[in-house]
Amino acid sequence: MQGEILFLCITVFTAGFSIALGVMFPAIGQGKACSQALESIARQPEAAGPISRTLFVGLAMLESLAIYVLVVSFILLFANPLLKYVFK
Amino acid sequence: MEEVLNPHILFWLFGLPVTKTVVSTWIVMGFLVLFSFLFTRKMRLIPTRLQNILELFVEAILNLIEDMSPGNGRKFLPLVGTLALFIGVSDITGLVPGLKSPTSDFNTTFALALVVFFAVPYYGIRTRGLKNYVRSYFSPSPILAPFHIISEITRTVSLALRLFGNIMGEETIIAILFLLSPLFLPLPMMLFSIFTGVIQAYIFTVLTVVYLSAAVESSGH
Repeated sequence: MQGEILFLCITVFTAGFSIALGVMFPAIGQGKACSQALESIARQPEAAGPISRTLFVGLAMLESLAIYVLVVSFILLFANPLLKYVFK
Repeated sequence: MEEVLNPHILFWLFGLPVTKTVVSTWIVMGFLVLFSFLFTRKMRLIPTRLQNILELFVEAILNLIEDMSPGNGRKFLPLVGTLALFIGVSDITGLVPGLKSPTSDFNTTFALALVVFFAVPYYGIRTRGLKNYVRSYFSPSPILAPFHIISEITRTVSLALRLFGNIMGEETIIAILFLLSPLFLPLPMMLFSIFTGVIQAYIFTVLTVVYLSAAVESSGH
């Protein structure tokens, strides 16, 4: 029984920790992209339309990285494929 | 919580499982078809108030396509407009009590991404011809052909995963907040989920237009 409990503990810890790490770095990237876009809009307000459209596409690309981590931790928590080998 | 990844099966129809997602999709389809039919039943040149609402949506989508890929607005409007309206409405459906966003199920988003996956060669071949389209895979060098194909597959998967992850994450957060305190705590998150839902529909639409216009334009080679 010890091993099973250890497995569950590690699974939950990994899910939480991977979300923490996986959100940190895309957040830094998104912040950089946003600040650059704001700067360039402030410099050239007439180009606000194309800049914000490109910004949205770029943010979506960055965000999908965090979303992959979210999906992985959801799989770990709710649909772990390894559970059936541990709990026979 | 088990419902997060495996949708709940409501009943069986001709041996096929009908999940909550399918019923929600039917409701979204019925809503869209009914309102489009009612509002445009008597079309006038000077639009009435209800017809104006729909013209607003159509023109907004048309302008979006024309901005990103000039001259292709009319060509892409049927596909892109359908995707935008369906995703936009079904993202917001999750807020109606008892319904589940169809897009919070991986099967729906993957189906939508597959539509885009097959629409890219369809529009590419129709505008540029089979020979020119296939040649674009081998440019600038034949070594890059496998990478072109890999990028088409991964961008389809990421298109599906992005929409699914966003909407499903949002719904899960609202469900957890409901467990904590059902009265007022979920309200700000629900308001925020309207915003995210519309943004996600916009992003899916914009990326679809980007992929389609890349397939249609001869990209200078």
